[in-house]
Amino acid sequence: MSEHHHDHDHPTHTHDGKPIQEDPLPPLEAQILETSVRELLIEKGVVSADEIRRAIEAMETRGEALGAKIVARAWTDPDFKEKLLHNSDDALMEFGINMSPMELCVVENTDDVHNMVVCTLCSCYPRPILGIPPAWYKRRDYRARAVREPRAVLKEFGTELPDGKQVRVHDSNADLRYLVLPKRPEGTEGWSAEQLEELITRDSMIGVSDVLAPSEAGS
Amino acid sequence: MRGPHDYGGLPAGPVDPDKHEHDPTHWEKTVDALMMLIFDQKRRLARVDESRRMQEALGEDYHKFPYYERWLQAVTWLMLEKGVFTAEELEAKQGEVRTRLEAERNGA
Repeated sequence: MSEHHHDHDHPTHTHDGKPIQEDPLPPLEAQILETSVRELLIEKGVVSADEIRRAIEAMETRGEALGAKIVARAWTDPDFKEKLLHNSDDALMEFGINMSPMELCVVENTDDVHNMVVCTLCSCYPRPILGIPPAWYKRRDYRARAVREPRAVLKEFGTELPDGKQVRVHDSNADLRYLVLPKRPEGTEGWSAEQLEELITRDSMIGVSDVLAPSEAGS
Repeated sequence: MRGPHDYGGLPAGPVDPDKHEHDPTHWEKTVDALMMLIFDQKRRLARVDESRRMQEALGEDYHKFPYYERWLQAVTWLMLEKGVFTAEELEAKQGEVRTRLEAERNGA
């Protein structure tokens, strides 16, 4: 992971694997059910405690920073971009990402088209890349309205699109996930991939906002 | 027929990008990990659409459960349905865990 990854400053476990208790406790009934299911799965040999710990660690390496690396690479390497748009499995392999059994469709923003991603039925999201979806992505307001009045929803994220620009809303499902390839901003000619990564936000890869302006880099 | 989960196009309020936003808690990550592990190539115990079917089957309760509690319901019902453990085993385990966690919460 990059040195920017903030989780390194906030370890979530002690070295013997116990969570550092700073989270609010879940409701008692939920904690009882989760503990029971987890312990039964371990006793039955379905999963091990170590596998659970490793799954949580792997989760912590996914997120905006990984998505930004992929987008910055596509902006700076035309062959990679072609592969990402048309054969995303091969492109993602270069980053050690395996979407299987799901499929990833990368949709490109252009001068004429703005793409945005929703899951009206639940919260399907390109998790192997971006990690756990934000709260608003999972909630009713976004899921209900993104497909009916996307421009109004975009405004609530502070994103105003010119009238002539087409908005395409992609409704994800269990088997097919979407990632938006934002437009590389003007004024970044000659920037390195690492510099460009600083401009690429989670929300720009979901399509609810633009990438940062070159002047906002590092802010 | 529209199920309880099928929000697409329904009237709803403004999107507040900051509402309920928090870093996932350790407990939420644990539920997430359990779901991902039962889906993975090694186990293949369930698929994503099956998890959603279980959540849809919650009916009106769908709206009552916070997100990860809904996931936990799905994992539990999937494991019962697939016979990974029985309802009797789960009940016995829950009794034992309840005693332990209540004692922990009471500072024992």
